[in-house]
Amino acid sequence: MTVVRGLISLLVFPGALFALPAGWFMMWLQRKINARAQGRIGPPFFQPFFDFVKLLAKEPVVRPRLQGFLMTVLPLAAVASTLGAIALLPVFPKAGGFSGDLVLLVSLIEVGPLCAVLGGFVSRSLYGGIGASREAVLTLAYNVPFLIALFALVASAGSFSLAGVALAAAWPVRVLALIALVACIPVKLHLNPFSAASAEQEIYAGSTTEYDGPRLALWELAHALEWVALTGLVASLAFPVADAAWPVRVVVFVAVSVALVVVLSFAAASTARLKLAQTARWFLLCGSGIALSALVVAFVRL
Amino acid sequence: MSPVITMGPFHPALEEPYKIDVVCEGEHVTDASIRVGFNFRAIEWLAERKNYTADIALFEHVCGICSNVHTLCLSRAIETLAGIEVPERAQYIRVVVAEAERLHSHLLWAGIACELIGFETLFMACFGLREKIMDVLEAISGNRVNYAMNRPGGVNRDIADPGAVLAAVRAIADATSKQLIPVLTTDATVRARCAGVGVLTRADAIAYGAVGPTARASGLPQDIRASAPYEAYDRLLFEVPVRQEGDVFARVVVRALEILESCRIIEQAIEQMPAGPFRGDDYPKVPAGEVCSRIEGPRGEVFYYVASDGSDTPTRVRVRTPTFANMPTARPMVLGQTFADVPLIQASLDPCYSCTDR
Repeated sequence: MTVVRGLISLLVFPGALFALPAGWFMMWLQRKINARAQGRIGPPFFQPFFDFVKLLAKEPVVRPRLQGFLMTVLPLAAVASTLGAIALLPVFPKAGGFSGDLVLLVSLIEVGPLCAVLGGFVSRSLYGGIGASREAVLTLAYNVPFLIALFALVASAGSFSLAGVALAAAWPVRVLALIALVACIPVKLHLNPFSAASAEQEIYAGSTTEYDGPRLALWELAHALEWVALTGLVASLAFPVADAAWPVRVVVFVAVSVALVVVLSFAAASTARLKLAQTARWFLLCGSGIALSALVVAFVRL
Repeated sequence: MSPVITMGPFHPALEEPYKIDVVCEGEHVTDASIRVGFNFRAIEWLAERKNYTADIALFEHVCGICSNVHTLCLSRAIETLAGIEVPERAQYIRVVVAEAERLHSHLLWAGIACELIGFETLFMACFGLREKIMDVLEAISGNRVNYAMNRPGGVNRDIADPGAVLAAVRAIADATSKQLIPVLTTDATVRARCAGVGVLTRADAIAYGAVGPTARASGLPQDIRASAPYEAYDRLLFEVPVRQEGDVFARVVVRALEILESCRIIEQAIEQMPAGPFRGDDYPKVPAGEVCSRIEGPRGEVFYYVASDGSDTPTRVRVRTPTFANMPTARPMVLGQTFADVPLIQASLDPCYSCTDR
């Protein structure tokens, strides 16, 4: 039964069948909101999907064998791990899950940025290298508040399982931790004001500069899935409706995820891009401050 | 070995064909060199082979943004050489077009600066305002970029609908003072990217011979419109905004305030403009001699030297564009800054390498 449930989570909901269209929808929504805020019309609804299909159909640039292999495997690993992270999301808090799945989820979410760092260096482009090193610095910076916030939730709930955290974490801790978690999302998704890793005016596309055709399509896919994974993580922790029927839970999960996309998009449209050092400083001081206060509240309550 | 990161001649941050080689230690810039000359068009060589009327059309194409200042400067040089009086109405029309062009140039620059710090929303807002002033220029001259307004002795077209120009300029002044300037000066992320970045000290500005808004943001109150007024500028009230800080933020503020001053100048010019002829007579034969002419373009002082041997073709036309004077200041500005600041710092000069290359 658990295998069947696991496969459903991975392949149907909240996995591939849901996550792929949801990711494309979120990317479209972000671009559309950005465009409307700027007085533009914005892309048509299916544009992210069209982009993906078009990139898939392109003939890739011929590369040395090992480099070509690595440049294919790294985005694939990012896609697979992010999909795995989505499958672990506790949309249905009382069903499934296991003790310690929070640790697995965090590590799966982190595989994507790690692959992007390696992918940037493997592509042997100067701009890819700079993008990768920026990505690495930012990953170190935002993970301080990200992990402290999650640890505060764990400490408050007394459990390392996602469902346990979603149901049992105390609300004051949860609110503070969620603020810290939400602040980390723009870095992972390369959104303003924390988009230094893909600053096109400085380093073109950053770590994916040298990627083309199907290989770039895989990065785009990983990016779309990251949208679902990160907004989904916050949504499932913010509104765990344990007692409701499953359609209600799904609707709440989707609605909160989309609301988060709207908030992030408006924040991105109304800010300039901070520099690498400024972003890192922000996360190490402000972000960590919020997360630490969540941790303090968690321990004081216990 | 420190990596040399090449920006340009084709790069998303540069709207002009030039190249900066930046030497970086990590994210910190330790050295930089600028190379130009990717867009040489032999305009000065061509000028010595065409007559004065054809040269006016030729120099219109030196720049795609400040095309008017080049024909104005050349027309003034020819007028001085041939002793031609410009009708008063034409002087006011020249001021209106020159200031409209300054608005267009500054708004374009503000948009690009916003784009370079990743603030696309403000970029679109600036370009939306720029669209308004381009509509004004199109209504006056029939063209959006190369206006073909100036001729030795006057201007080619009258301002047919001064009311529409006034309304558009007031709308731009309103949007600039109520939306653009508050966001540019108070937004935390804009300040974080611009304040204290790319400082050009007053001493450096003098040593490198900086001109225009770049010099004025470093505490040098120099503006040809005020210090050596030409056309109708001596009859119009305006201020020359000067800041002492010398950083990118100061250059942003100086240009933003200049947008407001330009609007003020256009309003006064339209209101004071006398009736009368504007085209001037057919100009006489240009006698032998040489002359220098300078005016204040959007980017600073534009300088023309014209030599004539009495024929209908000049023997030499030499142009010094403001970017030629400002270009070397980029190096002291970027040294010690982070790599992420380089695009913004070079853009804060409002460089126009296409004019410099010619």
